[in-house]
Amino acid sequence: MNKVFLIDRLSELRITYDRLILDLNEAKTYKKYIKTDSYYEILLNILLTLIIEKEIILLDDDFSEEEIIALIGSANLKSFTEDIRDHLQIKNLDHLIDVISHVSNDWKITLFTSGTTGAPKKVSHSFKNITRFVKISEKQSNSIWGFAYNPTHIAGIQVFLQALLNKNPIVRLFNLNSDLLFNEIIDHKVSHISATPTFYRLMVPTKYICPSVLRITFGGERFDVSTLNHLKSSFPNAKMNNIYASTEAGSLLVSDGDLFTLNSTNERLFKIFENELYICQDFLGFSDEIMVKNGWYATGDLVEIVENNPIRFRFVSRKNEMINVGGYKVNPAEVEETIRSITGVKDVVVFSKLNSVLGSTVCCYIVLDRVSLSEKFIRSELQKKLQEYKIPRLMKFVDSIEMTRTGKVKR
Amino acid sequence: MKTIQEIINEVLDNRGKPKLNNINSDSHLRDDIGFDSLDLAELTVRIEAEYDKDVFEDGLVFTVKEIEQKLNINE
Repeated sequence: MNKVFLIDRLSELRITYDRLILDLNEAKTYKKYIKTDSYYEILLNILLTLIIEKEIILLDDDFSEEEIIALIGSANLKSFTEDIRDHLQIKNLDHLIDVISHVSNDWKITLFTSGTTGAPKKVSHSFKNITRFVKISEKQSNSIWGFAYNPTHIAGIQVFLQALLNKNPIVRLFNLNSDLLFNEIIDHKVSHISATPTFYRLMVPTKYICPSVLRITFGGERFDVSTLNHLKSSFPNAKMNNIYASTEAGSLLVSDGDLFTLNSTNERLFKIFENELYICQDFLGFSDEIMVKNGWYATGDLVEIVENNPIRFRFVSRKNEMINVGGYKVNPAEVEETIRSITGVKDVVVFSKLNSVLGSTVCCYIVLDRVSLSEKFIRSELQKKLQEYKIPRLMKFVDSIEMTRTGKVKR
Repeated sequence: MKTIQEIINEVLDNRGKPKLNNINSDSHLRDDIGFDSLDLAELTVRIEAEYDKDVFEDGLVFTVKEIEQKLNINE
């Protein structure tokens, strides 16, 4: 059996399930913290921790050293590597699936997402929680998955597990140039793609046509009807829908067009109060930083109810300050604190601006403290301290903030 | 007014990438210039600040010529 597990053209890798099992069996060390740009290394280590039943913590590959020290206390990740001896040997793919599906409830995968206070917050999920939406069936047995998410974020993990538990191949599509991207989809006959609206926006318009794709899923950002329409000509056989998910809760709802329905299976797990969607705490991962009130978690997502009985709604906007940049959440307070910490900066306000490429971008007005700092200097300082997508695309120097502090600026 | 080429180089410079002196109308933002989505987002912001138009409003375009057409710049 030479079933393929992962095809990653950028890393020039083609890994079969047999090779994956071999690498799992031969592994001598376990890394508690994973920070790498290698997809295979991330996925391999997730599986290894499921076999040895130890926690795994995923760090975005572009976290700066400063950010990592703030999050986990040390930037020396190698010090968290442990030897493992005589761990369970996997016989074959069915055995692997059986073992990981029965992992103890103590196993956790921990991810980071932007928090409502300054620093990113830590969220942990059990196997049951993170596979809540995974469908294992005969119907899925021939699926070929295009992997278009960041593998250290919740959406990526869910696509990975969906593919693995159905023994499907995964084709890396993230961060490829457009010719290579379409060639990978066409050559490997990808049937399912799940990605952010930004990812799809960057694919079109295009001359390529991909008849093999049967399902296109949008996730991570507000649904974008015009991009969906652009995609139809390149993906003539694909059904399209939208998944509502969060790092805190995993996948929650699948849409029909841009409408979501609360029906008898899920209606007691959601509620809408003052146009905000609340999730029952049973859905949530573990975190010290998720605020739950009376058993309900406020998502911060505002909705518009379109029908009652059953309730059908669409998402309208975010309630609080978080800026969604191409699917990545940015907390303006965190960016403001970081800019303010640069010597010579007196004050700053960070806000979002609608953007045709990414949905929103981060902008800021800066007040300098009787010095002259260039935008270039500030950017280079920020590049040492923040992930790139958090750095404001627009920077303007102003005399004072009071006049311009209007909260979110939208055009 | 700044040319598209100048604005492209501003974006490259801001991301710590080397400026290019061979950008022409056929240059493709992603494949030739190497822009990713953050670069494209910054490009739209800067073009809009200079020309008061969102060139990606009706969908993304990818060559310098297409941008110039959207801005009605005569070559």
